[in-house]
Amino acid sequence: MIEHKSDKFSQEIIKNALVAIGDEMFEAMARSSMSPIIYEVLDYSVGLTTKDGDLIAQGNGTTVFLGMIDALVKEIIEKFGAKGEIKPGDVFISNDPYYGTHLSDVALAKPIFFEGALVGFAVNKAHWVDVGGMTPGSFTPASTEIYQEGLQIPTMKVMEEGKVLQPVLDLIAANIRMPKESLGDFWAGVAANNVGAERLVMLYEKYGADAMAAAMEGLLDYGEAMIAEELKKLPKGVFEAEDWIDDDGQGEDPLRVCVRIEISDDSFKVDFTGSAPQALGPINHGRTALVAAVRTIFKALTNPQIPSNGGCFRALEIVCPDRTVFTAERPAPVSTYWETMLYAEDLIWKAMAEHLPDRLTAGHVLSVCAFILSATHPETGDDVILVQPLVGGWGAMSDRDGLNGQFSVADGETYNIPVEIQEARYGVRVKQYALHNEDGGEGKFRGGKGVYLDYEILCDQAHFSGSFGRFKFPPWGAAGGAKGSSNYVELIRQDGSEDAREIYGKPSRVQMKKGDIVRCVTATGGGWGDPCERSEEALEDDLKNGFITEEQAARFYRRRPAAE
Amino acid sequence: MRVATDVGGTFTDLVCIDDDGIRITKSDTTPPNFEKGVIRVLEKADIDPARIDDFVHGTTVVINALLSRRGAKTGLITTRGFRDVLEIARGNRPDLFNFAFKKPAPFVPRYLRHEITERMDYLGRVVEPLALDEVDSIVAALKAEEVEAVAICCLHAYVNPEHELAIEARVRELWPDVSIIASHKVCGEWREYERTSTAVLSAYVHPIAKGYLASLDEKLTARGLSGKPLIMRSNGGVATVEGARNDPISMVESGPASGVLGAAALGVQIGEPNLIALDIGGTTAKTALIENGAAKITTSYKIEWDRTNPGYPIRTPVVDLVEIGNGGGSIAWVDKGGRMHVGPQSAGSQPGPAAYGRGGEHITTTDANLVLGRINPKLFLGGEQEPDWDSIDRAFEPLIEALGETKEDIARGVIGIANANMVNALKLVSLNRGYDPREFALIAFGGGGAMHAVALAEELMTPKVIIPVNSSVFSAWGMLMCDLRRDFLKTEVKTLNAGAADDIEAAYEAMEAQARETCLAEGMPADAMRIERFADMRYAGQEHTVKVPTPHKRLDDAALQELTKAFHALHMREYTFQLDSDVELVNFHIVVFADIDKKQLPPLPVTGRALSEAQKGVRKVDFGADGVHDTNEYDLSLIEPGMKIAGPAVLEDPTATIVISPGKRAHMDDYGNIHIQMRAS
Repeated sequence: MIEHKSDKFSQEIIKNALVAIGDEMFEAMARSSMSPIIYEVLDYSVGLTTKDGDLIAQGNGTTVFLGMIDALVKEIIEKFGAKGEIKPGDVFISNDPYYGTHLSDVALAKPIFFEGALVGFAVNKAHWVDVGGMTPGSFTPASTEIYQEGLQIPTMKVMEEGKVLQPVLDLIAANIRMPKESLGDFWAGVAANNVGAERLVMLYEKYGADAMAAAMEGLLDYGEAMIAEELKKLPKGVFEAEDWIDDDGQGEDPLRVCVRIEISDDSFKVDFTGSAPQALGPINHGRTALVAAVRTIFKALTNPQIPSNGGCFRALEIVCPDRTVFTAERPAPVSTYWETMLYAEDLIWKAMAEHLPDRLTAGHVLSVCAFILSATHPETGDDVILVQPLVGGWGAMSDRDGLNGQFSVADGETYNIPVEIQEARYGVRVKQYALHNEDGGEGKFRGGKGVYLDYEILCDQAHFSGSFGRFKFPPWGAAGGAKGSSNYVELIRQDGSEDAREIYGKPSRVQMKKGDIVRCVTATGGGWGDPCERSEEALEDDLKNGFITEEQAARFYRRRPAAE
Repeated sequence: MRVATDVGGTFTDLVCIDDDGIRITKSDTTPPNFEKGVIRVLEKADIDPARIDDFVHGTTVVINALLSRRGAKTGLITTRGFRDVLEIARGNRPDLFNFAFKKPAPFVPRYLRHEITERMDYLGRVVEPLALDEVDSIVAALKAEEVEAVAICCLHAYVNPEHELAIEARVRELWPDVSIIASHKVCGEWREYERTSTAVLSAYVHPIAKGYLASLDEKLTARGLSGKPLIMRSNGGVATVEGARNDPISMVESGPASGVLGAAALGVQIGEPNLIALDIGGTTAKTALIENGAAKITTSYKIEWDRTNPGYPIRTPVVDLVEIGNGGGSIAWVDKGGRMHVGPQSAGSQPGPAAYGRGGEHITTTDANLVLGRINPKLFLGGEQEPDWDSIDRAFEPLIEALGETKEDIARGVIGIANANMVNALKLVSLNRGYDPREFALIAFGGGGAMHAVALAEELMTPKVIIPVNSSVFSAWGMLMCDLRRDFLKTEVKTLNAGAADDIEAAYEAMEAQARETCLAEGMPADAMRIERFADMRYAGQEHTVKVPTPHKRLDDAALQELTKAFHALHMREYTFQLDSDVELVNFHIVVFADIDKKQLPPLPVTGRALSEAQKGVRKVDFGADGVHDTNEYDLSLIEPGMKIAGPAVLEDPTATIVISPGKRAHMDDYGNIHIQMRAS
């Protein structure tokens, strides 16, 4: 058999094996989960860290968790490691949002031992469909304190030396609305971690502790080297951008956010000083989410393909004062954190887009546009909570149109829930799922199309909440392209009781009756380049496919209608 | 006489079994008229088609049409409000950190996607009646665009296909010669995007497949073939021409499927029912697990899917295999961080590995095997050409410079990395699904299978390796081991509580009656038909299912309890836990087989030749960590049943090289298969 004498080769082999472990954990979690938000939307993440909490391999459904797995492990080490309380068979649980995203995302971590010594952690973090609080589905645009957003689980043990701490599970079950699903997901998470732990131990058995330790350290250096290579190619200097968040859900005023980026040959420094202070409404997030956001865009700018590990981010420096919307502290509400977290990415994106036209598009849908529809299934009489993010339009690039109907950059390997499954499981009726051609996104290359998703309510009474950011400030255009269209929700009352159009950016527990239609509308992305430069051929194609109307062609592209 | 022809990327292989034994022949593949190559290989083998009892055929015509986008111009008719389902797809972006991601373009552009007024609810009740008269203007519009194929997909058609059937009939009436595929006929499962995609891709390849099958049939009949050809499917069975024409997408992965089925059939014959099958070709390696003589079937198949591309789903039954970009032609390269990788880029056959001397500038797995002495230079490329050593040395230079290692160390590294990649794939089909490789034998075939198998088995800890006779054309041989097979799946969610048995039994029976009718119409012989049942099951609330074999007897409460128990056990094995939640049956899956009178592999004659007579010489072979050894070279064609060979050894002929490392023992069984014991005991 081939022993791998040369470190260069064995490290590649171990790296591939670690990536395979991440994949396996990821699949184990999806396939045994009880909730569509996990098994269809894949709103979760799995990973392995070193014993010191450095990220070694991560399997992601979404980008938002990049960097959160290691933050959690570092907290476990700090809280339990010093006292010698990390033991084989332990499982830690946490949903502390200031070390993560929001209370809905629950993390499980399992320490991994080889020959009696701690060698690493297997971790996963997944969106539970409900964690209690003032609203079914837990996230809400209406909260003003963390206490309204659900049960807080500080980092603690839920299994001790292989034994489940039943009182902990009982306490959790008593405080959440869908205990059966969520405890099913708890076991799915435990299983995924077990798989990761078993496979890592097998690698240790094969290569030995010393070689593994060297390989892991080598991996981190490798991540750093690969990124350093790309960093050199980025444009150098100072880049700035500012933008506006619609509002905090409590008041009407927009919130200003801004970034100053300083790129040199070996460092990438971002400074968010000057951004709005932490808000009364739940659009805030903690510093960990800021780090994850910046890491994500940094990876997109440098090397999107190599597996993420802690070494990839050594050149990164993030500056932001305490208690801004990006660095909120307890007890600030955070349940719709993504609205702000994505702005941290988007600011850097906007500042760099025209300087890196082969890596970046014009502004895209940005908001996750997640909503909660709580209703009664008309056939079974069961209470149901439909939670899902929506697809929208992506921005154009310097050489092509934007993508139609694609999840926000916050998501990734995220799947929409099939209409046939939504109707069977939630007892709603979907009237259309279609690309729209609202004004916006015109350009030499046009922004990708957003969608209309219409639900007809079939039960007597239902409630709708959601957070559709970029309701007031649509996605930005680049190089002379037009801005995109807005994200919003429109309610169409069956009885015609409302005269004016009923339109929301942050609907909160809006009541609906049988026959009412809720139309979710996502943005068309920003355009790139002057619309007058759009080719005749492309315009004809757009008209033929119904992506623009004759009227829009004349108005935005100065195209004369074809002679009859 | 039974003959199989397998059209591959480079060669069209032929295997023939009759009373005289086995014959194999290879000829060049002849795109785009693949049937020409088939006729040519028959001529080259000197086979008179009139003497053939069964002619089994595997073709890449479907997958080629898909991958090269050479299918028909296709239109879609779908429920009002949902024409963009095909374009939105699932919205996923596996390339998470790539913000310049390109979404795969739909196979039907928007202007050819037409909506029709109609609607069912999820229970199959009509919410909005079908406006059948709208079909007329849709057909007129599609005709004006010179469309050649039409796919139809209505929401919830898997529950109630009434509207799809009515639309199909009307289109047929207005336009008799167009290809039409209604979604429920090619996919009985829920998820509208996946079903639409399956119907669209089926329609897209239908005209080409139909033309190809007709032309093949005609040419063979003209040359005296009395029966009809049998066509290899991805589900590991064969179809009648009629069956293949109705469901052309079922041929999409026929090549890999026949190799796996051949392995399963061989395993049964030689008493090895539990196998991990590995097929190493020029560009990729494919692996599948066989338990109790049967391969697993899945419908979660996608084309063009990888870490950066969501691909296109085709929910047709396909042998459950994992494919990775590692084969003989995989290129070794060094990235900017100083790490060496092997694959997934391949040198293919043009320019091919550096050793071909056709301008290949990169070191491939094949070149590394040559440098380490595993491939005999005298038998390189079937013995027809000497390796181009200068070209190999030139190709090594950039690697030596980047890595600062010797040529031999790098070659060892290339093999080590390629093997590790393959081991990860082998683990995906075994360990990852709860199977312990130590309870399986590794059966390896394809051009590179025999060379790598022993090293892989060592890492995977399988106790035994089997290299089948004629391992380089094993896929074609596998076709001769397949029965007629057609799979039917239908989503219908049932909770397995007490009293549900009658309902479930009735659903199976209704499906079976319909399936029999379809199979009869497609020419399956009624008297040879047998049916197997499977149930895709899950815990209530879960989505993904576990496939459970279902006893084919009248289901009563006791049988349901048995089924539930079997599900708990399978779930435990795959996912390491079980729940006491309700259990649901989600997909009814039945398989109709019609057994074919297959010839067993005939025993090889024994002349009593001594092993020494098969030995050609001794050469130095590098076994990596096991060191460099003077190694006995044997002519594989002179090895006889019963002969025992001790490693280090190389058994070779112009088509295969079996590398046996020091300490391993091998023997040939009665049929010419080589068995290698990995442990001393």
